[in-house]
Amino acid sequence: MVVYSLYILNKAAGLIYQRDFNEGLKRLSSNDYLVLSGTFHAVYAIASQISPVPSSSGIEVLETETFRLQCFQTLTGTKFLLISEPRQQNTDAILRRIYELYADYVIKNPFYQIEMPVRCDLFDRHLATFIRGIP
Amino acid sequence: MTIYSFWIFDRHCNCIYHKDYKRPYRQLRPRSDFGPGTNDEKKQTSGGPPTGKGPLSVDDDAKLVFGVVFSLRNIVTKLAGEKESFFVYRTSKYKLHFYETQTNLRFVMITDLKVDGIRPILEQIHAGLYVEYVIKNPLSPVEHANGVGVNNELFNLGLDRFLRPLSIFE
Repeated sequence: MVVYSLYILNKAAGLIYQRDFNEGLKRLSSNDYLVLSGTFHAVYAIASQISPVPSSSGIEVLETETFRLQCFQTLTGTKFLLISEPRQQNTDAILRRIYELYADYVIKNPFYQIEMPVRCDLFDRHLATFIRGIP
Repeated sequence: MTIYSFWIFDRHCNCIYHKDYKRPYRQLRPRSDFGPGTNDEKKQTSGGPPTGKGPLSVDDDAKLVFGVVFSLRNIVTKLAGEKESFFVYRTSKYKLHFYETQTNLRFVMITDLKVDGIRPILEQIHAGLYVEYVIKNPLSPVEHANGVGVNNELFNLGLDRFLRPLSIFE
């Protein structure tokens, strides 16, 4: 069960964190990552608009043959995108744990500016340990 | 288990077929003076992008749905490669199922959350109904220029007869 990568988008659709954990998806340039995050943010917003039922959220899960993309939007508008294998279990639990790590090691870091790119060493290390420990 | 709506888009990005089955809360402004359930598509001067407040016309809804589907396909192609496409996405209130044929014909179905595995149904609609009644019809237009959609009685009837007995449809 493999997690491929994690993206964190801020409120303004900017990519503030991107990390690949395992091989499996295509290699993308950093420009591609930015374009992807902007596109996804827009699609997320439109998806809640085309809903036949009022007050829908945006896209939570996107499934394809080779990967599964799970999105978690916090109350502050920050989006966590997790791209994993299609049959990965518990992706929402994984995302919540990543959100906890984010809250602990990024937000509570007094030198980190909100909405800016994440450059927190402790967050990277704990994230790597957590992802490696997923069965 | 309900189907909310069903759309077909051709390879020129036009909506050539649209059917609403259940729209519990959002009422759409009718796009023409014809009766409900019509499939004729007229070029409407919708006067700018949809604001999202108040009822959207069917044309605007079609554009939004197509935009979502098109952008998601681009994302998936970037991440996974040229041949890949997505099956389904889920939000907190609905699921959107997508199926694209080799001829770039796109079938989109919006259902509620309890529906699973509708891809074979979309494949069947294409193979068993669309190909049979629309493509093999010598009088139906090949390219839907100027917004003329699929206006095929047999296809409509066949689609109804196919979808209504399914357990997902109520």
